[in-house]
Amino acid sequence: MAVSWLARLAARAPVPVFPALGMRGEEALYRLALSPDIKRVDSPRHASLLLVAGGVPPSMQQALRRVHDQLPAPFTTLWYRSAPLVELPQAAVTTVDSLDALPGALVESHGRLLRNTVGRSPRLLPDAPPHPWQGLGDDGHGGEGMMGGVPYGRPMAMPPTADLRDGLALDILTFRLGPFFPLWPPGFEAEVTLQGDIIQQFSVRSSPFPRALAPVFHEARERPVAIAVLERARARHHLQALFHALHLAGLEDLARHALRLADTCPSGDIVLLAKWFTAFERRLRRRGFFVLHLPKCGALRKKQAESQGGFAARAAGIERDVRAEDDGYRRLAFSMMTQQAGDTRARWRQRLAEIAQSFDLAARAQRDDMHTAQTDAVETPRGAWHDTRPKDTSHLLEDLLPGLEWGEALATLASLELAALSPWPREEPAETPEEGAA
Amino acid sequence: MILDQLVWPLTWVLAALVLGPYLLAVLDGLVARSLGPTRGPGIWLAPLSRGAWWLIQHTNVTEAPDGRAWRLAPALYLALAAGGLALVPWSRTWVATDIATSLVLWGSIEALATVVIFLQGWSANTHLTLVGAYRYVALGLSYILISMFVLIGVALPAESLALTQVITSQQELWNVLRQPLGLPLFLIVGLAITFRGPFNLADSTDLAGGTSADVSGAQRLVWEFARSAMLVAFSGIATTAFLGGWLGPWLPGPLWVAFKMLAVLALLAWLGPAFARITPERCVSLMWVVLLPLAFVDLIWAGVEALL
Repeated sequence: MAVSWLARLAARAPVPVFPALGMRGEEALYRLALSPDIKRVDSPRHASLLLVAGGVPPSMQQALRRVHDQLPAPFTTLWYRSAPLVELPQAAVTTVDSLDALPGALVESHGRLLRNTVGRSPRLLPDAPPHPWQGLGDDGHGGEGMMGGVPYGRPMAMPPTADLRDGLALDILTFRLGPFFPLWPPGFEAEVTLQGDIIQQFSVRSSPFPRALAPVFHEARERPVAIAVLERARARHHLQALFHALHLAGLEDLARHALRLADTCPSGDIVLLAKWFTAFERRLRRRGFFVLHLPKCGALRKKQAESQGGFAARAAGIERDVRAEDDGYRRLAFSMMTQQAGDTRARWRQRLAEIAQSFDLAARAQRDDMHTAQTDAVETPRGAWHDTRPKDTSHLLEDLLPGLEWGEALATLASLELAALSPWPREEPAETPEEGAA
Repeated sequence: MILDQLVWPLTWVLAALVLGPYLLAVLDGLVARSLGPTRGPGIWLAPLSRGAWWLIQHTNVTEAPDGRAWRLAPALYLALAAGGLALVPWSRTWVATDIATSLVLWGSIEALATVVIFLQGWSANTHLTLVGAYRYVALGLSYILISMFVLIGVALPAESLALTQVITSQQELWNVLRQPLGLPLFLIVGLAITFRGPFNLADSTDLAGGTSADVSGAQRLVWEFARSAMLVAFSGIATTAFLGGWLGPWLPGPLWVAFKMLAVLALLAWLGPAFARITPERCVSLMWVVLLPLAFVDLIWAGVEALL
């Protein structure tokens, strides 16, 4: 009786969901973030529901099992446009294919989980260390001599290199993170060596999943498209990226606001949108997004910036934008904007300025019904798409992140777009969500 | 004797320990509601339903943790918060722990908090929790120093280290006006020691929850409860040291203390989500280069004022 009373009370709290994003699963994440019934969490230990959104390649299924087993009991799973792991019992699996039905399905699953014991997900892996304790050596540390062993298959914590910051040599710590770490791009996995909270080494183990763009960018490669539609899609893309950066900065309400603006982009009144965005940008500055949070580090060298292209190159002072060569944009008096520093802060300044510019261009293009003139190249939010699509550049991080503090490194990662461009456009949601941007 | 020295003081402290964090959770809910749409069981029930969920969720284990230390850390943090609340005088005679060196005891609570927070992050034996623990230890000393300087500032006019004497010394003018730098500095330290808002470096989003990234169930409930209780203890000490404690017209002293504590908590609850999280590097600079010298200025100000 007492337990059911407690369960009824617990069922009234927002549903804590850990999203494990597969290929093309981001839309599910954005929908969750805007639902007040859902509490999105960054650690599987803090969740009751595991949401697997998008396809998970077979090579990552073992990692998914490990994430699955980290959720504390009782928990259950929900699969959005994803094939459930075969060993899971039917009762512990809910599949959803509609974005609109997703928040409701999560709430329903959570309620069912708390009301009765059926539907609870079982453990999939044996509860044993992945590398067994070897129990050798003087101190049972797994090898010969004092520090020679590899207990649990991991090297002993010893500083092999000089500290990169202040000479205080703390133990090194090497671990792998990904491919479902929610603060990294989906599919991205890396091996990180930390000393204290400073990154000593960073090696990429798996590149992020290719990123799908709005269909209009693909259409622009085939025929002239309305500049207003193209620029609205560009602003939407950058606003969705801003959501991740603001979540990282702890500004949850502004992160949601950025998403609401992004959802209003495709069809909202463009003049109002521009006005809302100006006010939003002011709030970002007032609340310390730049001054307190964004580090002045993670600067790309000229060659790196050139290979990265897009807004990251322009933030490093490289004047390169396909739009400047398009007659349609020329008639709108398009002017290229650049920053000089090329660091994390400069990249966000550049992106915010480009969002404002997109709204301005869209407003004028809409008035005069302007279309793009060239189809052999298009400036995507990820960079120029000429004959080949922008490729994965996540290997840049191996050079960029060592020496940075952990939080600075994550802010730097969030300011970049490193994933390759997907050959297929993303599916556009048919409608806008219930809340407006105002 | 037993009633006066054990039963009643223990009851007051426990009541403050339960009611304070609950009211803080309600205030947090109000602030969240003002920032955007929220849904759930309503402002008053939301903290309880969250707590109920934590109680239902199982407490997990990590690979080879220091089990005893890991389970003990949240309880120790809560015990430190309770120790802080025991020092708050509710009236001239209504003090759970009325000792001549209560300011020093508070200082030791702040110092021990560093140990407990490190223990929480370290003993889980996982990477992100350990980074959170490292971060706190790197910054903890600067928090404690600032706090100690501003508290020595309030001890000077009182000519005593007892919090009751500190309140008595504010009969004519509260310390918030007499030493205007003291309260803002102390509140910043409060946010930092309970790692909230812009100073949430130990349990931050970039570490997926930091020292509590791998904690679930009842253990997480105790940890979050202890963090809130510590902030309530901070508001109690801030009320005592800077806002004249029980002093005030018309109403009984304990009510004044409760109102002032609530006002401080409301201010801290609002400050929490108002600003972006500061980077650790900038936090170190802010603490040592800006706030610590300001704490010196506050102390010199208090010293000169005491001499005049």
